[in-house]
Amino acid sequence: MHDLSGILLRQLFIKNELSATEICNFFLHRIEQYEPALGSFLSIFSKRALYKAEELDAKRAQNKPLGKLAAIPIAIKDNIHVLGERTSCGSKFLSNYRALFDATVTRLIEEEDGVILGKTNLDEFAMGSSTEKSAFQLTKNPWDLSCSPGGSSGGSAAAVAARLCPISLGSDTGGSIRQPAAFCGIVGFKPSYGRVSRYGLVSFASSLDQIGPLTTTVADAALMMEVIGQHCKYDSTCLSFPLNNPLNQLKTPFKEKITLGIPKSFLKNLEREIGQNFQYAVESCEKLGYSIIEVDLDILNYSIAVYHILSTAEASTNLARFDGIRFGNRSLQAKTLIEVLDLSREEGFGFEVKQRILLGTYLLSSGYQEAHYRQAQKMRQLIIESFKKVFEKCQMIITPTAPSAAFELGYIQDSLEMSLQDIYTVPASLAGLPAISIPSGFSSKGLPLALHITARQFHDNELLQLAYHIEKSQPFIQKIPPQFDDNGD
Amino acid sequence: MNEKELEKLSQLAHISLTKGERDALTIGIKKILTYVKQLQEVDTQGVTPCFTVLQHLSNVMREDIQEPPLSTELFLSNVPSSMGKLVRVPPVLNS
Repeated sequence: MHDLSGILLRQLFIKNELSATEICNFFLHRIEQYEPALGSFLSIFSKRALYKAEELDAKRAQNKPLGKLAAIPIAIKDNIHVLGERTSCGSKFLSNYRALFDATVTRLIEEEDGVILGKTNLDEFAMGSSTEKSAFQLTKNPWDLSCSPGGSSGGSAAAVAARLCPISLGSDTGGSIRQPAAFCGIVGFKPSYGRVSRYGLVSFASSLDQIGPLTTTVADAALMMEVIGQHCKYDSTCLSFPLNNPLNQLKTPFKEKITLGIPKSFLKNLEREIGQNFQYAVESCEKLGYSIIEVDLDILNYSIAVYHILSTAEASTNLARFDGIRFGNRSLQAKTLIEVLDLSREEGFGFEVKQRILLGTYLLSSGYQEAHYRQAQKMRQLIIESFKKVFEKCQMIITPTAPSAAFELGYIQDSLEMSLQDIYTVPASLAGLPAISIPSGFSSKGLPLALHITARQFHDNELLQLAYHIEKSQPFIQKIPPQFDDNGD
Repeated sequence: MNEKELEKLSQLAHISLTKGERDALTIGIKKILTYVKQLQEVDTQGVTPCFTVLQHLSNVMREDIQEPPLSTELFLSNVPSSMGKLVRVPPVLNS
């Protein structure tokens, strides 16, 4: 059962071949068996999940209509609220915080009868690319336990890759869904900015943050988008129209001839193995009948610098709410109101978070704002315009997802170097474009490699469609890490 | 970025810092500031700064109708220190 996609599990449930309780118990048992070695979950909702599963079995017995996610076990990144459960954001600051409401995505999943299994590990406040910055635990890469699963949605990626659940939710500010998906050999989808409501997602950088699915198949990602790609009145950036039947559209042929752009000179310094694998992916696309053209996106070389400025500036204001007064950590040493702020934040935040808040504060302070922040906003505009120009000649752009395969835990210490991990994922975030990472093969060490596809703004369906077509032609899709590939069922 | 500037930032951002953190942060922040300097080489004269990628987004308003509020009890369940229905804090002014 562990090798089944979410869609197949739901079908077996609907056809009375498996009960929701059986499915739920099976994955809870896998979690119990494998989680000690993996460290992907921060909380596990055994009771809550089984209760929901029993409800679904009763619903089926009474012939009541069953939702689009009926009986599918789903994990949620621990910066997204589930009413009454802990939302820690991987931070000591929120180690005792319990969500006072459901995030919109949580509500939508439960309304469609998804079974929420628990909350997954992340870099503190989603700031990082390795999940090593979690205040609570390390998450391991299921393909090699000495390696990082990527980040910041490393828990969500590792859990799905190890088949502890078929689907999870992550959040992506500069690559936090796509890079861990790449490192763990699964599918990671970042929707267009505004496509999914962020109500109930703890904010990091609001002009960039998006929620999206991590899955073992493109079809499961499309299914999730069908459920969570809805308008929500509690997020004013959320698009007013719903995503139109992404799942149905997957299997249809394209209405127009599809041309894919490769920003060749932007990709000039690829690591040898990454380059070879990317070349192989390009050839597979050609074999499928897509035209390939070279496009000029050299401006993307500036994207990490732009991202550093905008994301830390936004983070410094967003994280001002963590004051130790209304919720979260309050320092026991504090004797005055100001000390409550100063000391609670000192004790509650880790080094990386402090560095980003301080840097953002610097960049927004008078005298520097014009030189840095304003310049970065202008650069962002230029990046958006460059993408628009390129999209006049092609519909989608392909690159590798990450500059390397998963690295060893502890290998990258420097936060600037860590951020360069996101060189191929950050551009789509800056321009608000939909982007997906799908498996494209393995390194000589047996670690997953991935292809990254970026599409035009709001063309999320077209992107999923292309990813689906490529997926069908690839032999290494849905490979399971050997250590986690037992037939317990 | 020097020790004095960092001290000022830590006051602005309300984060106390230990000596060890201060040294590491001075180096870390300096490194990133040096890296982002590359943006200065691009001529952006006449470019409109981007505030949002949703180009047509305007203010989103709703009808002025009250929705059920969060219950006080629920809200207080996360408050580190409270007194009845109030959030308790140390004195704001020193006597």
